[in-house]
Amino acid sequence: MLDRFTKTALVLMVVLTAIFITGAYLGYIGGHEMEGTDAIVEEHAASTAVNVEATSSVPAITDLVGEPLGFTIAGIVAGFIVGYLWTGLFRREENA
Amino acid sequence: MHISDGILTPEWCLAWFAIAIPFIAIGVWQMKRNTKENASYLPMLAMMGAAVFIISVWHIPVPVTGSCSHPIGTPMSAIIVGPFPTVVLSTIALFFQTFFGHGGLTTLGANTVSMGITGTFGGYLIYVLLRKINSPLWVAAGMAGFVGDILCYLAAALELALSLNPGSVLSHWAIYSLGYMPTQLPLAVAEFVFSAGIVQYIADRRPDLMLGKLWGEVTDA
Repeated sequence: MLDRFTKTALVLMVVLTAIFITGAYLGYIGGHEMEGTDAIVEEHAASTAVNVEATSSVPAITDLVGEPLGFTIAGIVAGFIVGYLWTGLFRREENA
Repeated sequence: MHISDGILTPEWCLAWFAIAIPFIAIGVWQMKRNTKENASYLPMLAMMGAAVFIISVWHIPVPVTGSCSHPIGTPMSAIIVGPFPTVVLSTIALFFQTFFGHGGLTTLGANTVSMGITGTFGGYLIYVLLRKINSPLWVAAGMAGFVGDILCYLAAALELALSLNPGSVLSHWAIYSLGYMPTQLPLAVAEFVFSAGIVQYIADRRPDLMLGKLWGEVTDA
């Protein structure tokens, strides 16, 4: 039997995933690349100056395993931390 | 607002670090003091750190503009754990985000100034002002999220313009800001929603965990 926190977390996960997938799908069928705004603006800004180019001083996990897997790992780790601490901090109220 | 390595000049990288470091130092001092005062402060800090990290790295698609971007989470964190500690959380989050291809080490100071300082304090100021005129908590928290999000991107645009276009800062600030805004405005609305919801939830269930004081001790929360 799932407790209230787990049910809420699962519903939130499904709703957010559906929003992300629908948004990305609508963008792609509209012919867009769905590139990050940070990179778009940065590229434009770099093009206005001489010899300016984005580089990377650290190896990116997303370059090794790809963005979907990299961000999934990040989401799982951060999600476990938030979920564990959230249940700890709010247990008193939920058990009352 | 994740500016990559190689984009800003070394002088501006150093300048943004110089601005960020005092805020980080005050934040670390407050973290140490508040952790001693309230046993719930440390887990709340850790939770907010993980939340800020994931909120500010996960790209949300905006189909209308054909691009994606992310909220920042720092205004919400400022209301809950305080603005100065949020600067520290933001710096740590930005550091780890460099390993996910977001931002860079040399631009960590600049990214901290935009997300950790401007977004945090801009949002927190709106929250304090709205609470002073008896605005409902959820409205004040939501507006803090909305305004903090927008201010963060305006700051990032200014950082780019100052470094890359010193001869025409204002016009390029406007250009870069206009580049960010179409995608960022819907996400600022999302930031309004989750900031309002989470802050109101915590205030309703555990008001003793609302520890976001600017200078004061956390025990009187």
